[in-house]
Amino acid sequence: MTSLTDRYLAATLRTVPAARREEIATELRGSIEDMIDGRRADGRDAEAAEREVLTELGNPAKLAARYADRRLQLIGPTYYLAWERLMKLLLSFVPAVVALAVGLAEGTDGNGGDAIGKAVVAAIQTTVNIGFWVTLVFAVLERTNAKLDLPEWTVDQLPEDHTNRQIGLVDLAASVGWLVLVIAYLPIQHFRSFVPDNDGGNLPILDPALWSFWLPFLMVVLVASVGLEFAKYRAGRWTWPLVGVNAALNVAFSAPLIWLISTDRLFNPDFVNRWEWLSQPENLNNVATLVVVGTVLIAGWDIIDSSIKAYRNRH
Amino acid sequence: MASDEVLRTHLQELRRGTVVVASLIALRHPDYGYSLLQRLTGHGFPVDANTLYPLLRRLEEQGLLTSEWNTEESRPRKFYRTSDEGESVLHRLLDDLAAVQTSLTGLIEGVER
Repeated sequence: MTSLTDRYLAATLRTVPAARREEIATELRGSIEDMIDGRRADGRDAEAAEREVLTELGNPAKLAARYADRRLQLIGPTYYLAWERLMKLLLSFVPAVVALAVGLAEGTDGNGGDAIGKAVVAAIQTTVNIGFWVTLVFAVLERTNAKLDLPEWTVDQLPEDHTNRQIGLVDLAASVGWLVLVIAYLPIQHFRSFVPDNDGGNLPILDPALWSFWLPFLMVVLVASVGLEFAKYRAGRWTWPLVGVNAALNVAFSAPLIWLISTDRLFNPDFVNRWEWLSQPENLNNVATLVVVGTVLIAGWDIIDSSIKAYRNRH
Repeated sequence: MASDEVLRTHLQELRRGTVVVASLIALRHPDYGYSLLQRLTGHGFPVDANTLYPLLRRLEEQGLLTSEWNTEESRPRKFYRTSDEGESVLHRLLDDLAAVQTSLTGLIEGVER
């Protein structure tokens, strides 16, 4: 029968580097026996003394970590802040982008009902994957003691006005991510909408006739919006000139959109006719009204919100 | 009065480095783990066994202690002794400890003056 001491030694030595195992085993066994003898001299019986000594030495895994000088933490202070920052940055926009891409692909594929469900599942999977892989990489760095040549912190990195900073790096990444996605989607839907026409070819969702002016114009407005996001980030907060430009860009995007959809010129007529439900004038009008109301609400709220924030900065 | 928990952490912090100093002094006379533990405790340096044993090995790896196995007694024991290098490190540590004590004394007297 193996004694408790034998089992304790085996549990401790399991994770100690093999080269030193033998020697540590002999020494630790000697120390344990010395400690037990010490307690027995105080009048304890052998069994109780052994239990007490091993309890005092504590969790074998912890003791082994001390012998091997191993760290009992997944990600220590050296890497924690870098890990936290990268996680925040990636999680701020990647799951949303993936969800949108999946949702659009499914939706335009004619699986409108499944689109939202699949988008949510994709977003959750992406979140879990980012969390897992980023953490794994940093945990490996921690264990291998790898030198990350992260730039040292300098006073120049202090935000211009920390207490009033409204727009952080995460906001910038999220906004630009969305804008780039929309900019990319305009040409992509023309060539690859995932909606086949009757001959199995590709059926653009937006009216191809709009490429002569309006779609390029909308793309230019969106690119200008990306520029605005960077200007906003540099300023760190809303200022009245930024509010003005933002309002102008909102109008420049919303007005053509509202006008085009109200005059039935936004969607590709072939795309509309392909769906029995959508091709009925009443339904198409409902969709148009929904888009108009949504656009006005979003643009209106964006302008009001930016004005409120700029006003607060002054007062 | 601060809570016992707070006091305990601060005392622990204060004591942490002194175990190394005490061990380097005590091991001017070669000794093995358990016996050293007893001696340190007897001299007012209570230290956990699971801290001291790994610490001795680490100091040995750093070259501050040398070791020798003694197989003459009932069970084999590893005797540690402070090396020349350990002795010079000890001198530096003791000087620093004295400097801390002097500074504290100066600070206390300065406040009371």
